[in-house]
Amino acid sequence: MHISDGVLPTAVSVGGYAVSALILSWSVRQTRSDDLPKIAVVSAAFFVASLIHIPFGPTSVHLLIPGLVGALLGPSAFLAIGLGLVLQCLLFQFGGLTAIGANLLMMGLPALLAGWVFHHFKGQGKKQRILVGALCGGGATVLSALLLAVLLISGGEDFWGVVKLALAAHVPVVLIEAGVTAMIVSFLIKVKPEMLDTPFMDKKST
Amino acid sequence: MHQLIKPNRFDNAAEDLIHVKDLGYTYPDGTKALEKIDFQVQAGDRIALVGHNGSGKTTLVKHLCGLLSPQQGTVVYKGNALGEDHLATARLEIGLLFQDPDDQLFGHSLYEDVAFGPRNQGLAEEAVDLAVRQAVASVGLEDLLFKPPHALSYGQKKRAALAGLLAMQPELLILDEPTANLDPLQEQVFIDLLKNYQGTLILISHDLIFLYELCNRALVLDAGRVHHDYPLKELVEHRPSLREHGLDFSFRFADSRQQDIEAREERRNLTPDAEVRPEAPLPALVETRDLHYRYPDGTAALCGVNLKISPGEHVALVGENGAGKSTLLMSLLGLLPFQGSYHFAGQKIVAGKGRLVWQQTGMVFQDCADQLVCPTCYDEVAFAPRQFGLKESEVEDLVYNALKSVKLDDFSDRVPLHLSGGERKRLALASVLSLQPQLLILDEPTAGLDPGGEEMLLEILADLDVTLLLVCHDIFFVRELTERTLVMHRGQIALDYSTKDFLEDKNLTTLNGLDYTYRNRCALQIQELQHRHEHAHAHRHHHDHPHRHGELLHSHPHEHEHDHPHTYTHSHSKDGAHQHPAQSLYHDHSHPDHEQEDHDHDH
Amino acid sequence: MQQISLLWLLPVLLVPLVVYRGFRILLNIKADEVPQNERDWTVPQLEFTQGEGSPIHCWDVRFKLASFLFLSFMIVSLQQIQMAIVALLLALASYQLADIPWQRGGKRLLGMTGFLAMFLLMLPLTAVPQTGDQVFVFGQIEWLRFNMRGLDLAVLIILRASAVALLMEPMLATASLPETLAGLERMGVPPRLTQLLLISHRYLHLFVHEARRMQIGMEVRGFRKATNFATLRSVGNFIGMLFVRSFERTERVHAAMLARGYQGRWPQAVNFKARRADYSKALLVVSLGLLLVFCDQLLWQK
Repeated sequence: MHISDGVLPTAVSVGGYAVSALILSWSVRQTRSDDLPKIAVVSAAFFVASLIHIPFGPTSVHLLIPGLVGALLGPSAFLAIGLGLVLQCLLFQFGGLTAIGANLLMMGLPALLAGWVFHHFKGQGKKQRILVGALCGGGATVLSALLLAVLLISGGEDFWGVVKLALAAHVPVVLIEAGVTAMIVSFLIKVKPEMLDTPFMDKKST
Repeated sequence: MHQLIKPNRFDNAAEDLIHVKDLGYTYPDGTKALEKIDFQVQAGDRIALVGHNGSGKTTLVKHLCGLLSPQQGTVVYKGNALGEDHLATARLEIGLLFQDPDDQLFGHSLYEDVAFGPRNQGLAEEAVDLAVRQAVASVGLEDLLFKPPHALSYGQKKRAALAGLLAMQPELLILDEPTANLDPLQEQVFIDLLKNYQGTLILISHDLIFLYELCNRALVLDAGRVHHDYPLKELVEHRPSLREHGLDFSFRFADSRQQDIEAREERRNLTPDAEVRPEAPLPALVETRDLHYRYPDGTAALCGVNLKISPGEHVALVGENGAGKSTLLMSLLGLLPFQGSYHFAGQKIVAGKGRLVWQQTGMVFQDCADQLVCPTCYDEVAFAPRQFGLKESEVEDLVYNALKSVKLDDFSDRVPLHLSGGERKRLALASVLSLQPQLLILDEPTAGLDPGGEEMLLEILADLDVTLLLVCHDIFFVRELTERTLVMHRGQIALDYSTKDFLEDKNLTTLNGLDYTYRNRCALQIQELQHRHEHAHAHRHHHDHPHRHGELLHSHPHEHEHDHPHTYTHSHSKDGAHQHPAQSLYHDHSHPDHEQEDHDHDH
Repeated sequence: MQQISLLWLLPVLLVPLVVYRGFRILLNIKADEVPQNERDWTVPQLEFTQGEGSPIHCWDVRFKLASFLFLSFMIVSLQQIQMAIVALLLALASYQLADIPWQRGGKRLLGMTGFLAMFLLMLPLTAVPQTGDQVFVFGQIEWLRFNMRGLDLAVLIILRASAVALLMEPMLATASLPETLAGLERMGVPPRLTQLLLISHRYLHLFVHEARRMQIGMEVRGFRKATNFATLRSVGNFIGMLFVRSFERTERVHAAMLARGYQGRWPQAVNFKARRADYSKALLVVSLGLLLVFCDQLLWQK
């Protein structure tokens, strides 16, 4: 779920911009300049993946896969998600212009955490990797739902009702994200395992 | 075609443009890609770089423009080894055309993209503008100058990518499979462009006819080594070499196939014709009336298509790019909101609801990457049967049969993405055959295949017993596989006649500008060259080209005596007697038993 | 607290639903171009070339972006519905000035409806009652209360969001993306980021087409999404393949860039020259924004 314009108090929008700009600059510094085109291309793929809808009962949910992006890109995930969100805002108005900072925090922080968790607990076994992948996928979504709640609450106690509804709407998303991330990880293990092997913090990075 | 020809900056003709010395490269996984590569390129050379898929052509080319740095040996460009500053200069003077134009068109618009190179060369903006406009005009895309790359068709993208290189006025142009997937018209544009190009040229291609038009020297790679380095004409003349390096297209002329077709046609003539005897209970498999479709932007793509395909028919659909062939296929699959009536096997198909069609139709896409989504070949082939709810035991049988029919018996556990182009194409075919479709639709099945792969695919397709709709630029596949040809032009089926008539149709060029016979003519010309006879006996040879025998690599001039297969040119007079032209340098002796020997070529 | 008929519950639930679902019909965006319930895979072209020469088109990109960005932040700070309506009218006026077809703005509004409908539904029903709030109770259902202040809040949010969404078009569609990004660069955004955005934008179109073809490939072989494990697995494979293909492409793109002389810096050719008109337009927009907030504060304090 992307926050649109006009929902957050101005101070929170501006604060969101400031904090995410800080993390973004860290994320850019963690990315080797040779890897930049790669990040751009993967952001595009991330964008496309978020257009995919999966039916859930009578409704459908669209994927966000922050957990997977974190697992694949490590610290650069924040940057990649930032690019994806800017493009979604510019092209589709998914997420407001003034709320890009807040949206980036909401999606990027869970991605970073998921990336860290994945690379510390993935181990070598196939089953373990799939399980950790599922946890990262589901966990990142839970975290971003909680961040969404915190951001909305900043608007005042009137927003409690909306927060509850938004959290409830995230329950199927969490399940599906966990499942799909597990499936993607299992696919990658078979087809291109080296994609899952990038260390979270590359010593060589400048 | 206007193109400024820059005087060659490289004046010292005695020095080589490129000198590759003892180059070796091993992939991170330990496979040897290149080994002991030695050769020189002089300014003005036009080199055909040929060899099997996986023989190291692309890896070699990447070394030539410094995308890979040699692990062993050196690549010398204009007297200096590639590296550091010299590499930066070299890259601005060497143009490399990638196989997939989308890799190369990373700019926001055609203009921005073509300007990328000249701007990197540090030209002033006026000079950049001039270079861009000239380059774009030379490939004939002036009208699309400010279009984003994704708005271009495949052939246009390919030309746009070339324009991006030409704008840099490269001294050396390296092209990796430039004509793969192009229709004959677009291919001709490429040939004309490259004929006009004055600099040094290195062409990677499986298309011997294309190479024959443009190159004068052949560099043959085999398993990472230079196998031959000699005039292209010598390679073309020597059929066993062609065969060995996956370039032999002579299966295209085998007589036996012609007989097959005749036999098939005879069989067809015996079966009752549905149209002659309307009481025959054979409903058309596909029947459309007045099919219309407009793109969302209003352009008409289909303008009243009337089409009838009876069960068991083999139909070819040809036409220039943009004639509406793909749109027609998408409509037949029920994927587009078309207007008009469409019946499949007697049942009405509503636009957007194609499930009924999908169950009985197999469609093999032009780019099989779009069709392969599973982690193993088994899953891939089992995908469709599983979707239609078959039991796992039935699925298993279907999968094994399908894999067997495309000669991929042992591939169940392999990863589709790791297969070669030809194998993937066959896998894509298996993945639709597993549903045992009534109708098989093939969209450009030969795209990206080498002649060996084409031959295999042809054998497989000829053995299948299905109704076939073949969309193809390759006249040979059309001839071999179909009896009826539909020519599409501007959203309509302009002509509908037997393939035999199509092949003899002289007026086609005036309809859509496509000259299908061109390739056949060239092929015959090449075959003429192959009218030679082969035998082996001891010779004294004077070797002066790199030459490999097993593990031993000769790369210095020397004389020695050995048994060597030899070609012996002859032509045939009317009574069948052999007429020999003057003999070559090393072959100035006669062969009295020549007339009695077996011939391996067609007369 | 006032008691009203239970029937009022109907519009309270239906209006958000109409906002969510019926907006498409309202805007008359043709659904028949997209067969079945499939998502529209077409990605809109950001820049729109028609109407060149309008005051907004010939405005220096840097000033345009800065002024509109400022105006957007001012708009989202508004607290009064009246002023939010004025802001929306302002946005419409600039939209009209740039001569952009209304469908484009309509699609933008459509992009937010799901999220905003949630507020329209929940805020009136769950806003915490304060003294002076007008609260309605539906018939005998004591726990379901309709708070007018909540409705006002929801409408305010929707107005603010719509105004900014409509501003996006004159702000972004009136110059090419490379120009806009070059402008951002001059405003202090690191060139690395703008280059990345440009490449992302290019490949996004490619991947959308690729994904669409892959999806057709699956559909033709009988794939149909449902709430089950097989769907998860197929979608997982699909996305995995999308990522693998994009990773492989990325290497080739990078190589192609190097081969054409890329040395870590994207060559640029946009020159900016600010004229007096650029300054005065900026001054106009910024003061409009300030005026909006000023009036808003005055109204609030009343």
